[in-house]
Amino acid sequence: MPYPTDIGVIDTMMGSRAGPNAKLNYANLTGIKDADSKGMNFPAQYMFKDVPFSDQARGGGSDTGEPAEPPQGAELLLPFMDRNNVAMAMVGIGDGKSEARSMVEEHPDRFIPSHEPDPNDVMGSVRTIRRLHAESGLKAVTAFPCGRNPQVPIDDPKMYAIYAVCCELGLPVFCCAGIPGPRVPFAPQHVELIDRVMYDFPELTFVTRHGCEPWEDLIVKLMIKWPNLHYSTSAFAPKYYPKAIIDYANTRGADKIIYAGYFPMGLSLDRIFAEMVDVPFNDDVWPKFLRDNAARVLGLDV
Amino acid sequence: MARPRDIGVVDLMIGFPYEDKRATFEYLRRNLKDEESRGFQFPAQYMFGETPDAADGEDPVAVTFAAMDRHGVAIGLFGLGERSIEAAARHPGRVYHAVEVDPTDVMGAVRRLREAHAEHDIRAASVFPSGLMPQIGIAEAAMYPVYATCVELDVACIVNAGIAGPRFPSGVQHVEHLDRVCYDFPDLRLVMRHGAEPWEALAVKLMLKWPNLHYMPSAFAPRYYPQAVIDYANTRGADKIIYAGYYPMGLTLDRIMAELDDLPLADHVWPRFLRDNAVRVFRLGGHDEADRGVA
Repeated sequence: MPYPTDIGVIDTMMGSRAGPNAKLNYANLTGIKDADSKGMNFPAQYMFKDVPFSDQARGGGSDTGEPAEPPQGAELLLPFMDRNNVAMAMVGIGDGKSEARSMVEEHPDRFIPSHEPDPNDVMGSVRTIRRLHAESGLKAVTAFPCGRNPQVPIDDPKMYAIYAVCCELGLPVFCCAGIPGPRVPFAPQHVELIDRVMYDFPELTFVTRHGCEPWEDLIVKLMIKWPNLHYSTSAFAPKYYPKAIIDYANTRGADKIIYAGYFPMGLSLDRIFAEMVDVPFNDDVWPKFLRDNAARVLGLDV
Repeated sequence: MARPRDIGVVDLMIGFPYEDKRATFEYLRRNLKDEESRGFQFPAQYMFGETPDAADGEDPVAVTFAAMDRHGVAIGLFGLGERSIEAAARHPGRVYHAVEVDPTDVMGAVRRLREAHAEHDIRAASVFPSGLMPQIGIAEAAMYPVYATCVELDVACIVNAGIAGPRFPSGVQHVEHLDRVCYDFPDLRLVMRHGAEPWEALAVKLMLKWPNLHYMPSAFAPRYYPQAVIDYANTRGADKIIYAGYYPMGLTLDRIMAELDDLPLADHVWPRFLRDNAVRVFRLGGHDEADRGVA
């Protein structure tokens, strides 16, 4: 039961921008309508306490001694990763030059490249995935169905073209599921939509992001049913991991639940690992949760 | 106005006489529920006067090529199979293949398409949405990987549109579904087959709107070509309407060609309808040849 300190953690969700720059993370989120959200640097910040390096955080970032203009990229992340024993982190590298791409190129042993295409451009998405796979060692495709404008549901035809390419290239898909934080409609991320996708793509490795709430019982049922369906804990502080997920990991789902953080978007890595020690995982679950499941799903040779 | 005789015709839907017609269409029978259809050799035969004879011991490739030669059909697009592969070897340059795919197995369809392209240089994928079990709509999710793969391979995609002949539901083939597919795949060369009726006016509207949407009157005897399609070919659609027959499924080449003589196409439309549009849209020959084929 105690948290092991000798495992080099793989974090399957990390960002490269912090402070005022973080607003760029949400440039695609153009469908928001309420005035309150429009003023937010981070459109889900109302749910988080102490968003790292944010002057809009509850509690106020600058009051905690954080710099208002923090370093970006590896310079920001590596000290946090080192002191929390995070060996590797997956970051979205985008289509062209980016801070995240530089991180992956300069520290290939620390950062894992993923890419989030806009499925509204079907063939553009397909071509970019193939190019990044061939040229940049892409390890995963990610999706935020509610965050696109127009929204692109998990089982949308446009997603099918992307899933097919992922099957051909052997890439997993990491996809947000459950009610999204930003104030846009949730229907495109209903967990029930995953059932059809797993049926049509038996060989696709699918990893949910962002909790699947309030359908955590449904995602457990679906993970029992579909061998290649997994769950990652992104955007959830460990004290809020759903009980259904912890129970499943401790019983039949030890190979299915994968650690993901949310630094620096919404959670400090220090907070995540301070809370982590209190999660009641069994001894045999910890190494799988923190590292082995991610390494297997991402095809990492570590 | 008269059909010119000096054009090497391309027939986009042609095959070889069946040895066992009933067995050939067995795969469609699983969707049929009415008693009469179960008795049909060919599930749409109630619509056709007389359907072509079976091979009856003759060499099927020789039978088809004799008919092609008799009517100036230079090139055929055949469904990929043992017989079409044999015919391609016996008649180099006159046989191209289209591969029929079944997207009820999504990745199986993608792989079949890639293999057929690598091994047999297919020029098109084809799908019969109403004939699948279960049926899959033209704009449904399981079709999208097929469309994406066609774009990547630079091959055309042929899709049945309109009321299906066999007695199963046709909603999945409504012409209106094509609007979304053309929107999501601007580079896809999409070709409607089997008439698009009774939505031929909609098909014309969509062809005006989408540059890569085309129409072939397969399975229609020329005397029944929809007026809206003939009018469109003679006006703005000269590059969009492409000849396809239906031998040996439901029509003989003798009948098709005899009736084509009465089709009121404008002089400049004939070569495009009979050959040039097919060469361009299906990239027949090398790509250079295809460019020369454009009228």
